Amino acid sequence: MSATAEKVSVTVEALKEQIRRLQAAPRKYLAALRTGVEAFDELLPGGGLPLGQVVELWGEAASGRTSLALRAMASAHREGRLCAYVDGPGELYPPAAMAAGVDPARLLIVRPKTAEQLAWSAVQLVRSGAFACVVLDLTRGPKGASGVRLSPAEGKRLMDAAVRGGSLLLLLTAPEAPGDGMMRLRTEARDDEGLSVEVVRSRQGGIGARTLVPWKALYPELEGGETPWGAELPPAEEVTVPELPRERPPSEGHRGIPWQRPGRDAPMPSLRASLDAGSALH
Amino acid sequence: MRLGFLHFSRFPVQRKVIELPELAGKPFVLVEEVRGQQRVACASTSALKAGVKQGMTVTAATALEPALRHFPYRPEEERRALVGIGEMLMGLAPGFQLSEPDGLWFDASAAHLAKGEEGLCAKVLAQCSELGWRGRVVVASEKFTARALARHGAPRMSVVPEGESARALAPLPLSALEGPEQTAFAALGLMTLGEVAGLPVGAVTARGGAAGMRAHARCRGGDETPFIAEVLEEVLEEQLTLEWPAESLEPLQFALKTVLDRLCGRLGGRKRAAVRMNLTLKLDPSGQAVVPLTLARPTAQAKMLLELTRHRLSDVRLEGPVAGLILRVEEDCEDRGQQLSLGDAPEGDAALEVVLSRLATALGEDALFMAALEDTHRPEEAYETKTFRPPPMRRGLEGELLQPVEAAEPVPEVMRERPSRMLGTPATIDVEMTASGELLAARLGGRRRRVMALVGPERLSGDWWDARPYSRDYYRVHFEGLGPAWVFRDARDGRFYLQGLFD
Repeated sequence: MSATAEKVSVTVEALKEQIRRLQAAPRKYLAALRTGVEAFDELLPGGGLPLGQVVELWGEAASGRTSLALRAMASAHREGRLCAYVDGPGELYPPAAMAAGVDPARLLIVRPKTAEQLAWSAVQLVRSGAFACVVLDLTRGPKGASGVRLSPAEGKRLMDAAVRGGSLLLLLTAPEAPGDGMMRLRTEARDDEGLSVEVVRSRQGGIGARTLVPWKALYPELEGGETPWGAELPPAEEVTVPELPRERPPSEGHRGIPWQRPGRDAPMPSLRASLDAGSALH
Repeated sequence: MRLGFLHFSRFPVQRKVIELPELAGKPFVLVEEVRGQQRVACASTSALKAGVKQGMTVTAATALEPALRHFPYRPEEERRALVGIGEMLMGLAPGFQLSEPDGLWFDASAAHLAKGEEGLCAKVLAQCSELGWRGRVVVASEKFTARALARHGAPRMSVVPEGESARALAPLPLSALEGPEQTAFAALGLMTLGEVAGLPVGAVTARGGAAGMRAHARCRGGDETPFIAEVLEEVLEEQLTLEWPAESLEPLQFALKTVLDRLCGRLGGRKRAAVRMNLTLKLDPSGQAVVPLTLARPTAQAKMLLELTRHRLSDVRLEGPVAGLILRVEEDCEDRGQQLSLGDAPEGDAALEVVLSRLATALGEDALFMAALEDTHRPEEAYETKTFRPPPMRRGLEGELLQPVEAAEPVPEVMRERPSRMLGTPATIDVEMTASGELLAARLGGRRRRVMALVGPERLSGDWWDARPYSRDYYRVHFEGLGPAWVFRDARDGRFYLQGLFD
């Protein structure tokens, strides 16, 4: 009897110890954040974007960096976790983010007013551990400046914060100002094929690996076979940009109120005919 | 009706020690003015050991104990503290009635929800001790029985069964009557309430009148005084006057903790959680500073609020020392609690609050927001900003009892064709077109970029009733070396503008 009780107490102690260890360990519900874009996830060494690390998406202005970041955040939201977007240029378009599956109620958007506050804000957010994924957009500064370059100290601070908070930090950088991410992925828009992603720097291997993410994977709602920008140019007469009707300059007061609906400017139809008909009835 | 009485011995002293923990074990007294003289209203244990007694002048008390510190006795603050405790207990007892200056009755009719009356007593004491209060609880059927046993009985908690009141009261001293009747009974040579209860009713009524009869009935366990529950204040507000103006954050922290503990206790008792609060700091000699506290997630946890308040205050610059503070809940909501899962740190939400507070202080409140769709066709106004308030975490084992996650608001189809980046102001672009109107190239970022593909137009127009009407033809244009962009041709001037990037 006493042997059984002793065994039970040992098991309980072992469980308690395990719980203590779990509580003391940094938050790691997901070792990697899968974006749901298969070609992209397969390219990454861990099968997804690694948590507790800094990953840099580096490319031209419209090379799909933001779309991939939005997919990662949507994936975290499906797990019920919070995300943050430090929007340096103030260009994130939330409706498009929602269309990509991002839950607006779980996305904190931070728009600092100076470039110096960008890295600081990201450090605070990542270190808190309250956000599963933090995106730091350094493609341009808050005042329209070109790509923001992080100092080595800031880069180190960001890395430390990511490790401590157990969150994924995604850096979106411009070609002229690469950051100091542990993993750097170069993105490039291929004309009709899709989005090319190449591992440029990685501590987990896979350098030089490249994949092509089809547009369809990022925009699945588009009609099958049709890609808005990948399709061949249609015949010249169909592509022709139609000449839009230009609005007339504001006319004189007797023509109606300036800048009002064009219909308002048209002369009123005569009511005489109906009035005559009415009087005839009486 | 079953009632409980919660008694705190030397309540003002306990309150003072909770507010100023440095006073623990030190000789101090609370003084009140009686006919122009400062007299001791209540003394700490070490002061009592030095010989200080209630009613003594402060001068005499200081002569006995030179290190004696004295503070003013403010009955209204004692009452407010008692009300705070009563409201805190409302999670266990549906109503309470104050018994100033050092106790309160509470309704024990919901004891079956707390593992019986013993369980209720234990829970009440546990809640009090969490905040530093040491008290005694007695549950009985009459108000007098519960109060007399709590004030004069020995055990920390006891339950008197129905009909056993007279036997429980019998050993108590005559002083438990706490009225002028005790002197009359003492004159008869009686020592305990049991001896009073043994007197014949007729004789007591003949000699003591109605008051004597009432006292006699109480001693026999026949108190019929009704329980009148306290009316709750609608406004949740706590205030505290500091003994001396605080010039740094450290002394203010103790006051903040006291006030927050009390306020969160009240919130918890009502099952409410604070959403927005205002902390008003009264400055010395005049003026005040208001620090708004907005929470991302509603909470009634004092520890988290203290952390947040402390952080907010560390960034506030005041014109003078703080003489007092008022904490007021401006907005509250139902407290749904927080569901943690294995491995979750309980301070998870606190971390969120603190980081939001830190960012709001450094960047401004308007720099942090969450977005919500706006019902408009003008692309740049398709969303509005709101204060970031994430929904509570819902995690746990999958099962029937698990509440379903709220379905996300459907996104209009047209939003799926919008760019992920939208420029703050559309930028004019110089385009090259053929004679037939075909778009060939554009100059972007100082470089000529050839058009690789183009889809459109998507015509958007509206607001003709407004001062800023618009009519635009949108195209998704894939520029060479850049990627897909969202370009429109404005009908007003016929020029092309770059508005977004499909990044």
